[in-house]
Amino acid sequence: MAKPSRLDLLQGTLDLLILRTLQPGDAMHGWAISERIRRLSDNVLQANQGSLYPALHRLEHQGWIKAEWGVSELGRRARFYRLTASGRKQLQQEADNWTRVAGAIGKVLELA
Amino acid sequence: MTVSDVLLRLRALLFRARVEEELEDEVEFHLAMARRKHLDAGRSEDEAGRLARLDFGRVGAVKEDCRGVRGIESFETTLQDIRYALRSFRRSPGFVLTVSGTIALGLGLNLALFTLFNAYVLRPISIHDPYSLYSFTWADRQGRGHAFFWDEYQQFEKDSPAFSEVAAVQYVYTRVDGHVFQGQLVTGNYFQMLGVGSELGRPLLPEDASAPGREAVVVLSYQAWQNMFRGRPDIVGTKIMVRGFPMEVVGVARKGFQDISEVPRDFWAPLTMAGRLQDGSDLFGADHPERLDIVGRLRRGQSVSGAEAILTAWSQRMTLQLPDEGKAVGVLLHSKATSIPLTPELLITFSPLAVVFGLVLVLACTNVASMMLARATARQREIGIRLSLGALRRRLIRQLLTESILLSIPAAILGFIISRVTIDASIRVMFATVPKDMLELIHDVPRPVDWRVIAFMVFAALASALLFGLAPALQATRANVMSSVRGEVASDLRPVRVRNALVIAQITVCTLLLVACGALVRTTMAMSAFDIGFRTNNVIAMEIVENSRGRVMDALASDPAVDTIATASSVPLNGAVPSVTTRAENGPTISTAFNDVSPEYFEILGIPIVRGRNFTKQESASETRVAILSAMAAQRLFAHRNALGQILHVSGEPAREVRVIGLAAYIVTCCIPWGKDPVLLYLPATPATSANVLVHVRGEVESERHWLDTRLAALAPGAVGDIHSLDQYRAVGLYGFRAASMIGATLGGLALLLTLTGIYGVVSYFVTQRTKEIGIRVALGATTHTVVGMVLKHSLRLTAIGTVIGTGLAIGMSRLLASRLVFMRVFDSAAFAAGVLLVASTALAAGYIPSRRAAQIDPIQTLRYD
Repeated sequence: MAKPSRLDLLQGTLDLLILRTLQPGDAMHGWAISERIRRLSDNVLQANQGSLYPALHRLEHQGWIKAEWGVSELGRRARFYRLTASGRKQLQQEADNWTRVAGAIGKVLELA
Repeated sequence: MTVSDVLLRLRALLFRARVEEELEDEVEFHLAMARRKHLDAGRSEDEAGRLARLDFGRVGAVKEDCRGVRGIESFETTLQDIRYALRSFRRSPGFVLTVSGTIALGLGLNLALFTLFNAYVLRPISIHDPYSLYSFTWADRQGRGHAFFWDEYQQFEKDSPAFSEVAAVQYVYTRVDGHVFQGQLVTGNYFQMLGVGSELGRPLLPEDASAPGREAVVVLSYQAWQNMFRGRPDIVGTKIMVRGFPMEVVGVARKGFQDISEVPRDFWAPLTMAGRLQDGSDLFGADHPERLDIVGRLRRGQSVSGAEAILTAWSQRMTLQLPDEGKAVGVLLHSKATSIPLTPELLITFSPLAVVFGLVLVLACTNVASMMLARATARQREIGIRLSLGALRRRLIRQLLTESILLSIPAAILGFIISRVTIDASIRVMFATVPKDMLELIHDVPRPVDWRVIAFMVFAALASALLFGLAPALQATRANVMSSVRGEVASDLRPVRVRNALVIAQITVCTLLLVACGALVRTTMAMSAFDIGFRTNNVIAMEIVENSRGRVMDALASDPAVDTIATASSVPLNGAVPSVTTRAENGPTISTAFNDVSPEYFEILGIPIVRGRNFTKQESASETRVAILSAMAAQRLFAHRNALGQILHVSGEPAREVRVIGLAAYIVTCCIPWGKDPVLLYLPATPATSANVLVHVRGEVESERHWLDTRLAALAPGAVGDIHSLDQYRAVGLYGFRAASMIGATLGGLALLLTLTGIYGVVSYFVTQRTKEIGIRVALGATTHTVVGMVLKHSLRLTAIGTVIGTGLAIGMSRLLASRLVFMRVFDSAAFAAGVLLVASTALAAGYIPSRRAAQIDPIQTLRYD
């Protein structure tokens, strides 16, 4: 099976992706978040799934997401994460930053 | 740090098990989902599980990272270390007991000292807003403070620069029924200003001090009411005699208030009663006697430096008209929040004591450090294994330090008990050894265990834990991993070096303490044996109130036990004597202490008139302008000229010219530690200046004193103030040094004991370490003699280094002390020799026992170990 080459995620990028994934407002558990990131990026962004959890906990400590226990679609107990108001603001900021940086890097790559 | 962060950390701390379980569940859920996905894709059960774990990464590392986010791993590590340490303590209770006992000894002594320091210097007086209360006076060119006269105080009250409230106070001393009764004459607003109420009756009120001579009322302290009046419930309304004048008790001050002076007061009376309760010129009269102290509250928001500037300007304005020596050049503004203000001078006086006590704690710590090091070396194999398994050195040091801090907890508790026992015991010893006449002046102040004492205890315990724990922790974890796993500790000799350094430090400190203590004891002995220049035996000095002087003198003259009576304005050995400036005709101007004495003064004290003659009775009675100088004063004033017959200009109110008629041998006037005062001027006593009467009695002096006191009290109540034998004055003057010697000897003994055990420990360790070597030596034919010598040489070398350093330090210290104390010699060879000898013989004794053990090593047994 030919695997598409994986990219190592930059520090902080994972945070941005998590926040973006949670933006629609639904509460999601870790597995769902990881699957969604993978699918939306066409399997390119598939980090070590484990590294998702320290990131989730860090975001929770920063108050950008909130966790609560709920029952998953398969009837198992799971930890669901939801974006908070300050998380929404943070996402806005980071997304803007990202666009600016990505645009700038793109320009440099084109012109160099 | 956000709110959610704090809350989550707290949750992680408080519900550790639950948070851990949740993490477990979360990861488990993820893996289950991943497995399911792979199963759905048609993998086998095993394959699905494997792929799920592969995608996830290392579960343990992920969990560890998640724990890291919580930020409490340091706490958890500590918990782990504590559990580990407690387990190892359980295995060696003797070690724990020795360590905490040794540290507790040092801690306890220091805590006792701090508790006393706290009671006097740090604990605020129980009054309203103590920290805004200040005493104020101005200082002249020589830095001497000023006592105010009534008009100055009134002006101050009117201007009230920088102060929002002010009061004037004056100390008054008397005795009631033979008991010392010290009081404070105060302006009427005093109690209101301090916010102090009464236990019984009422406090003093402004109306009580409305006009001079008004309101013979008095408020007692709770303590005085309990002790001197046995807590009589009907005390309010009764009259008591104060300096022979009946005063009505109107109230008892609130319990716990004993005035804001250094020494607790027994009563307070309106300042307007000063004329009745005070000798000499009237406070409110034309003479303007300078007697008042000012205390007050600084205005809210007024800084101390700002207040000083304002007060300096005011003082300079007030003294503008005075001659230069009377002009104010600065102000003395001292906080009255505590009974003794915390000033730089106080710290300088107190610091030697604190250093000596601190050194004992340091000694205890080095002893324990030595023990810890031995223990760490014994655990070298364990530490080596842990290091080789990848434990971080930092982590091991941390664990060893946790152990030290844990050890300091029982030490602190035990130290606290020791401090209470020490304080009680030393107070008991003080009451048992203090000269009898001083007893009444000693007030036991409350010594509460407040937050300052607790804080000090915690701080000192932690500091000593670091002190005794850090070096061994650093040392033990430095070991070579390979050799220590194999159990070869001796190949790395550094632990021995550190322990040697510790022993040298101990011997140094011990030598310093013992030499200092020896010098102190010898200084005290020199002072006790010092020829003060006059005789004290069978002489009683008493202070007589002016209006009763005639009656008292008559009674004394008719007393069969009294054979000579003299008067003087100052009693020798009773502290600093007032001085005046004197100028010789065509000669220098010098400041001389003076005493107004009757002719019998020289006879009663046996002070020889070396040249010229004594005063005559007529000169005394008619205020003739004559004077007697101490021989040294004559030398300073007239150099080699004949002083007899010369004219001397004496400053004062009024300035006088006197003719020198005699030269007296010089004596100790102020206090023994100051030595003989070289310059002294005697003037003939007049009735006004004869405040003190000295009598020479036949028979036993103490019973005579008691008899005279009782008799005079019946004849003229309140007429006699202080009445003590001169022997008592002398004993009181030396008591401070005797007490210091006792404290010094106790600390020196403890230091010696700690050093003894310290050296014993180190030498035993040395022997254990070199068992193999010694065994080989014995096998090769070394005699007992050589083995003992070899071991002793080791301890002797350490002792030699330690005593040399200690002696050097002691010389430096005695130089410092000798500059302050007349009787202290810079190099007291006897004290040095005794100190060094004691330390050296202790060191030898401590080394001897282990060396004997070394000599008995059986070579066959030791060599079999390998």
